[in-house]
Amino acid sequence: MKLLACVKPVVDLETMSGPHYLGSGASSGGTTCYRINHFDEFALEEGLRIKEAFPGTTLDVITVAPQSAGSALTRGLGMGADRAIHILLEQEGYVSPSVVARLIARRVEGSGYDLILAGVMSEDDMHAQVGPMIAELLSMPVATAVLHQTPIDEGRAVYVEREIEGGEREVLELLLPAVLTVQTGINRPRYPSLSKCLRAKKELPETIHAAAQPAIAPTETLLRVTEPRKLRAGLRLEGAAEEKAASLLAILREKALIPEARHAQP
Amino acid sequence: MRNRSILAVAEHAQGRVKPSGYEVIACALRLESFRQLRVLVVLIGDQPEAPAREIFQRTGLDVIAVQTPGLASYNGEAHRAILTDLIAELDPACLCAAHSSQGADFAPGLAARVGAACITAVERISVDSDCVIFARGASGGKLVAELAATTRLAVITVQPGAFSADVDRRYPQGSIEFRTVNFEPHRSRALGFKPGATCDKGLSEARVIVAAGRGIGKQENLSLVQDLAAAFPRSAIGGSRPVCDMGWLEYKSQIGLTGATVSPQLYIACGISGSAQHVAGIRDAGFVVAINSDPNAAIFNVADLCIVEDLTTFIPTFLAELHRASETPTSKENGR
Ligand SMILES: Cc1cc2nc3c(=O)[nH]c(=O)nc-3n(C[C@H](O)[C@H](O)[C@H](O)COP(=O)(O)OP(=O)(O)OC[C@H]3O[C@@H](n4cnc5c(N)ncnc54)[C@H](O)[C@@H]3O)c2cc1C
Ligand SMILES: Nc1ncnc2c1ncn2[C@@H]1O[C@H](COP(=O)(O)O)[C@@H](O)[C@H]1O
Repeated sequence: MKLLACVKPVVDLETMSGPHYLGSGASSGGTTCYRINHFDEFALEEGLRIKEAFPGTTLDVITVAPQSAGSALTRGLGMGADRAIHILLEQEGYVSPSVVARLIARRVEGSGYDLILAGVMSEDDMHAQVGPMIAELLSMPVATAVLHQTPIDEGRAVYVEREIEGGEREVLELLLPAVLTVQTGINRPRYPSLSKCLRAKKELPETIHAAAQPAIAPTETLLRVTEPRKLRAGLRLEGAAEEKAASLLAILREKALIPEARHAQP
Repeated sequence: MRNRSILAVAEHAQGRVKPSGYEVIACALRLESFRQLRVLVVLIGDQPEAPAREIFQRTGLDVIAVQTPGLASYNGEAHRAILTDLIAELDPACLCAAHSSQGADFAPGLAARVGAACITAVERISVDSDCVIFARGASGGKLVAELAATTRLAVITVQPGAFSADVDRRYPQGSIEFRTVNFEPHRSRALGFKPGATCDKGLSEARVIVAAGRGIGKQENLSLVQDLAAAFPRSAIGGSRPVCDMGWLEYKSQIGLTGATVSPQLYIACGISGSAQHVAGIRDAGFVVAINSDPNAAIFNVADLCIVEDLTTFIPTFLAELHRASETPTSKENGR
């Protein structure tokens, strides 16, 4: 079988100081540190497991990202993917999921992939759109939030369980080629191996310059990024840790959420 | 010119409209209030009659009930095909669906097929100089992205809980139109359902829930959360999805959209970032305390009390304080 995993590099917000980020990265003046979208590690791992179970299977990874974000591909190769495809964006910043999906669909069309795996959503944009859009653009069936899959019928179809509300699962069969968006918890993603990472660093990915292709008009524009509203009181405790602990205790006592002090036995 | 419509695709099950259906209608009515638009509720399924009457009676809105004989459960192919035809026929300005396992499944593909913008998990709608702005969470809820469609049609999905399902606005007239569409999915086949992990009864009965997130760092640190919970009578331990995915807690302890919905008097979130999917499970909690080392964590927007600290040091500090305070002045400090 021929498999493809879509991986998105995301900016690690926790390690960033300075301006806030959104989209496939944005520049803060310095170099932006990217890591692979957590959700995509589950998709990659699922692809690797199919590859191991079905001899002769290959797994490619594809990303639509600026130059500095190529490390997500290295991670994919480090985990065990065969080849990397980088659709290179000139700029950092928000890219419409419809544009990402069209860029990927263009490259994938006619390449004979049997199964395309994507994450259930990206951590930064959280659209949950790119996977199902690729399926539509390539006229493939799609199952979202997949928690279990097995290729059946000698690789002509796939048995799928997808997560629906209340943790229940919907069971279905899709004819291949198909797209699956993979939900977390389906597997435990492996760590990349050092030797594979070192090899990956030497191999250049197949690079496609998005700018050299016919432009794709985005369907929406990002007007601005704001702070979320506060939905509860949000009182911030101040002082040293000990003072915060004392205040927390006092507040919980006042609200009778923690039992009153026990009286010491004589 | 005739007013363009807003299609509100409402989900239903067992003859009843799901709460998300009314949330989608509420969102559509909000859009209607900005513009000269007309809300049309769309129901799809093999038995849409009863839910169609329910919506008609409760809201007086126009309803199109599309019966799909033989398609007992949701089918993405069928939804995309039926809605593509309705869009071609009615030329709506907006199509609203729930950001659920159904809406999130069919909406992006539908939008791609008809060349519409797709804006998912919408939480708020506003207008600014004739432009409709859709606000949605990003970066795990740390940020809000405001987007505007540049296409003639916008397909949007509505974040669960963002719009109130109490749709009481009654329209004087309205009609129900029944249609039948025979659709044979040819690339997918439904094989039924499987039950999920049953939720921990202890969670629904607990007065206090102490919940662990990925921020606990390692499984061994669960003992801190357990020690904290032990300080409260009638308490239980819960967790975010990643903590369950990693096997640190069982899935029956997962809280959120795809886990348990809880309503304890006190909820203490330890190392939880506060993504919408987690917060969906704790809306009815009485008092929420959040302990997180990131001062900008989204959980602080839904907390009553915010503690910016490293939980691995703060929890022991708090427990020591509790211990100290529970010893009255007369009692001797005998070494522990
Ligand atoms: C369809 C769907 C359904 C989902 N359903 C659910 C669901 O039901 N429940 C759920 O929880 N998630 C659900 N998720 C996942 C959700 O989107 C988030 O990924 C998840 O909730 C994040 O979990 P977290 O907060 O534990 O981890 P993270 O987002 O990684 O946050 C960890 C937090 O810990 C803090 N931290 C780190 N170290 C420390 C320290 N030493 N002391 C204090 N704080 C620290 C960090 O600042 C950070 O805020 C769902 C996702 C999808 C797509
Ligand atoms: N820029 C990108 N490059 C490659 N894959 C992507 C990109 N953006 C999104 N994806 C894939 O689509 C999934 C859903 O992303 P999103 O639609 O942004 O929530 C991700 O988990 C990835 O698998």
